[in-house]
Amino acid sequence: MGRNRTKAYPYLFIAPFFLIFIGFSLFPMLYTFYISFMKWDGINDMTFVGFTNYVRLFTSDPMFYQSIWNTLLVIVIAIPLQLLFGLVLAVLLKDFFNRGRGLFQFLNYTPNITTPVAVGIVFALLFDSRVGAVNQVLTSLGIISENINWLSEPGTARAVTIILLVWKYFGYMMVMFLAGLSAIPESLYEAAKIDGAGYFQTFIRITVPMLKNTFVFLTTTSIISGLQLFTEPKLLFHPDESPGRSVMTALIYMYDTAFKRFDFGYGAAISYGLFVLILLLSLGRIRRISEED
Amino acid sequence: MSNKAATWIVRAVVVLFSLLVLMPFYIMIIMGTHLSEDLLTSLQLAPGGYLAINLANVLKTNFFLFYKNSLYTSIIATVGCVIVSGMAGFAFAKYRFGGKRLLFGTVLATLMIPMQLGLVGLMMQLKAMGLMNTHFALIVPPMANAFTVFWMTQYIKSAVPTEILESARMDGCGDFVVFWRIVFPICRPANITVFLLSFLSSWNNYLTPLVVLNKEELYTIPMGATLFSTTYRNDYGAQTLALTLATLPVIILFAFGSKYLIQGLAGGGVKE
Repeated sequence: MGRNRTKAYPYLFIAPFFLIFIGFSLFPMLYTFYISFMKWDGINDMTFVGFTNYVRLFTSDPMFYQSIWNTLLVIVIAIPLQLLFGLVLAVLLKDFFNRGRGLFQFLNYTPNITTPVAVGIVFALLFDSRVGAVNQVLTSLGIISENINWLSEPGTARAVTIILLVWKYFGYMMVMFLAGLSAIPESLYEAAKIDGAGYFQTFIRITVPMLKNTFVFLTTTSIISGLQLFTEPKLLFHPDESPGRSVMTALIYMYDTAFKRFDFGYGAAISYGLFVLILLLSLGRIRRISEED
Repeated sequence: MSNKAATWIVRAVVVLFSLLVLMPFYIMIIMGTHLSEDLLTSLQLAPGGYLAINLANVLKTNFFLFYKNSLYTSIIATVGCVIVSGMAGFAFAKYRFGGKRLLFGTVLATLMIPMQLGLVGLMMQLKAMGLMNTHFALIVPPMANAFTVFWMTQYIKSAVPTEILESARMDGCGDFVVFWRIVFPICRPANITVFLLSFLSSWNNYLTPLVVLNKEELYTIPMGATLFSTTYRNDYGAQTLALTLATLPVIILFAFGSKYLIQGLAGGGVKE
């Protein structure tokens, strides 16, 4: 009796997690999959339509591909810049700031924890054509003579989105690189110094290769989370749409389809189209983690 | 150029760069102290004298209510997450039981699954359960967080000595008492990390309330700020002040707990 009771404990301890997870994460995911085979407007009865939604999604919906393309275009430019700024800042903080490192780490990381809604709206105001600080600074420096409509041209709208993303995420990269840097043995640098290697040379020959795992981790996780971009681009153009749908991300398209046009079946199919893409990109990561255990 | 001069140049560049990074915050705070008319004419870089007027405009709306909604949903979700993650982490770290590998593998796999993709199903489910337009979806689902379970498991494995647990059991302590009186207190640093991570994601969450709530009195801060930017579209002063107030709690919290939060983040990367 006593033995049986002890055996039940671990299950009791994990029960809350799994009950909530199954009830409110796994079930909705599976239910969404089910709905993706339906046609439903939220009012009338659901009708089973088989693979119709998926056929439409993959063969005759340029908007879906555009939304993926929009997302990829922005993150493919933003991520290398985030990595670059994050890495350089991490290395400089480690090598030149024995005191004050914590402070500058904090300051540069702050954008990352700031409420995304606020970030979107503040950037919309900064790049506003009339009251925006960016136009005001450029005008007073004599760089431009006429206000630029940053947020109403597809090209500049994307550029602003990229600036926002770099601003928001380079601090996160910096934190991760600092963690990676602390794992590099100091003896490597000492040996390089004895061999007469300069600062830049040790950076290229030792620091960068030793941070390979951090690079791989940051790149894959950034692409995966980048594909789920929603709040910032949504608020940057709030309450309108981005010009020519140039910054309509896949998740914005899903949201608009399901919750604004009430095409729930098709919205669910978009979710799973995106899910397949993310899954393919995650496979490498899953393998890596499961190998370790 | 001497080494010392180079060092100071590098430091100056880092300082200037950091100041540039803070500019959006600075401009947001400064804009909140000016009248919209002044903001339209020229760039304001010094604080203005209209903070009180803007504040009065913000407080005329439901902003306090949004604040209260955000605070209570985030705090309950976060405390729940700390306890749920601690218990699950304890079981995975210190017990041997059938199916453990499979279950822990499930936790790791769900780290990779983007939960927003279940949003359509979640809405239907909440509708069927009569939980639309309640705070349920903001409070309960975030308590089950795969990353924090993983994080607690790793922490308890390394920080809680098994001998202590055994001697407590010898003294007749039940497993729940062992968890609550011994494991939980030892895990204080990890609990703070989990608290910060969970609080941040609750406070900042926009997509879930956007789908689940359509009554203004239930709105949380991100929803409220959005509403504000629409209704006060031309009152830039009040609008930015509202945004400053919206971001304040997370920045204060982070200022005190950045060490723990950064440990948590870095811990996620070290796994690779």
